[in-house]
Amino acid sequence: MRSLAERARAGGEWTLRAAVIALLAWSLVIALRGEDNGGTEQATSSGLRAMLARWSTVVTPAKVHVTLDHPPSAQERDWLGALSAARTAVEWSGPSLLPIAVAFEPRADPARGADVSVAAPAGTGVVLRDTIGVLDSATAQAAGLRAYIPKPRRTVDAVAGPVVARAAPRDSLVLGRLLVIGRAGWETKFVTAALEERGWEVDAHVIVSPKSDVRQGRIDAIDTARYSAVLALDTTAARYGEQIARYVRSGGGLVLWAPAARTRALAPLAPGGVGLIMEDEGRPPSDSAPREVLEVVPITPLAPDAIALEHRGVEPTLAARRVGPGRVIQTGYLNSWRWRMAGGDDAPDLHRDWIAGLVARVAYTGRVALPSPPTDPAPLAALIAKLGPRANAAMGSTGYDPAMIAWWVFAILCSALMIEWASRRVRGVK
Amino acid sequence: MSEFVFATLEYASGDWESAPALPENLIDTVAKHTSIDIAPVGVNVKLGFPEVFNYPFVWMTGHLPVRFTDAERRNLKRYVERGGFIMIDDHNHDITGEFHKTAHEEIERTFGRMTRLKNDHELYSCFFVFENGPPNTNHELNGWGDNLLHRYLDAVLVNGRIGLLYSSKDYSSEWNFHAETKRTMQDDPTKFGVNLIVYALTR
Repeated sequence: MRSLAERARAGGEWTLRAAVIALLAWSLVIALRGEDNGGTEQATSSGLRAMLARWSTVVTPAKVHVTLDHPPSAQERDWLGALSAARTAVEWSGPSLLPIAVAFEPRADPARGADVSVAAPAGTGVVLRDTIGVLDSATAQAAGLRAYIPKPRRTVDAVAGPVVARAAPRDSLVLGRLLVIGRAGWETKFVTAALEERGWEVDAHVIVSPKSDVRQGRIDAIDTARYSAVLALDTTAARYGEQIARYVRSGGGLVLWAPAARTRALAPLAPGGVGLIMEDEGRPPSDSAPREVLEVVPITPLAPDAIALEHRGVEPTLAARRVGPGRVIQTGYLNSWRWRMAGGDDAPDLHRDWIAGLVARVAYTGRVALPSPPTDPAPLAALIAKLGPRANAAMGSTGYDPAMIAWWVFAILCSALMIEWASRRVRGVK
Repeated sequence: MSEFVFATLEYASGDWESAPALPENLIDTVAKHTSIDIAPVGVNVKLGFPEVFNYPFVWMTGHLPVRFTDAERRNLKRYVERGGFIMIDDHNHDITGEFHKTAHEEIERTFGRMTRLKNDHELYSCFFVFENGPPNTNHELNGWGDNLLHRYLDAVLVNGRIGLLYSSKDYSSEWNFHAETKRTMQDDPTKFGVNLIVYALTR
């Protein structure tokens, strides 16, 4: 009769045998599921395309995890989305992928430039490039960054680390004419000249005396079919007050100088009131802050729905608002011509850009759709929209590595067999 | 800075101040016929100094030879290219005179040859209408100076606009009268000056 110790040892051996058999059975099941539809498959950016082909033709994994060092192409992204829709859980990780987006908006300007806006985390270095090469680089602020591209090409890329966001013009703007209304004076002359030099076709009504005026172009109806914007320089614009108000309320753009904003007819459209004049001391405008020395009338009080675009001290000097579908911008600078005449070497160009920029902010434009090349304006957002947010842990939500588990199972099996075999040898049983 | 200020151009050589009563007469005519916001008195500005750029219309005249300094030449070019309007009038009314010859040399050195303005140019109709081009002066009609009737004015054009206008007609003598005299005149001879200013302000 066997002793209690021998019976216990025999029980232990049977337990080890049973454990080995159970582990072998489990491994068999796992192996079969891996060949069929079980397990988590891994891929990286470099091997993604090959793995996508494998997951679509060789195996049907229950789950895949993709570790990305750059965003997948649109095709790969769609492919992953299709896998996800076909009941393969797709998760991804990529800590170096930054959420950036780029938007491209043609400017209402005969120079045919475009504004590019980039959304990126503050402090991110962003490089702008087109099909020719690098255009500019800058660090994103809290509100992202904006850039003006004088000669946009087919596409514009915003590059932040490994992420490339691509935008392209969707439409071309159809520009109308401009109407300048003002008294004979230097501001009227130089504003008109700057806009004509920029390429705008300008109609002008310049008042010289109560009985005499100078008309340039055919001025009859003020409507969006003819004009992209009206520039009202002084009180003489009040004679068109009703027409201008109707024009703005139907979508037209209006640039108001302070004296015009003061008139009863145009004040309801103005982004703000007219404050006390800050005199020009006759100093030449500097290249770095040219408008600082110009005579200015602060825009105060500001209308509740207006936004200030520029200040001198705390006083708004440039402000804008919407009036129905129309847009109005008010400038407090009375003699911007001094900038052009008395400024530095680049003053005429900078003054022209500035005046054209005022008009571009409000101008009414028609649009013609353009054939658009493939774009990817927000790669990370598109990835999240397709696959959901990135996985928290590097290895996915399950938190284990099947390869490691296989090694552990192998070690346990070996150990159990060795112990069971050693135990039997010690007992003298074969 | 919003108002129009009549500016007489000072230059280093010559007698730039040879028509001291002209600004007053021209200012009077502009104020009488237009609603242009014009300063009641004119100023003198030095071509060689940055202040000249605060006055986009300047009147230049004289009898003596004109020799610009480098700074004056540089400012003149920049002034015209940026949209300023300079009227240069030969106070000698003499195309063989020193002012005419030297002023022409300076202009051609800075801008190249001037363009002869046609007499139907808008300069002659932008306010008062002068059907035959630039109005004649008594000095021309009386045979003084070079004893010629100058039927055209010459100009430097920038983007189609007049930037510099040159006259051999001697408006500097014609308009340089005592202000009280205007009351006794049958027709105001300075009316063409209004066209110059209206053109400069509107084109």
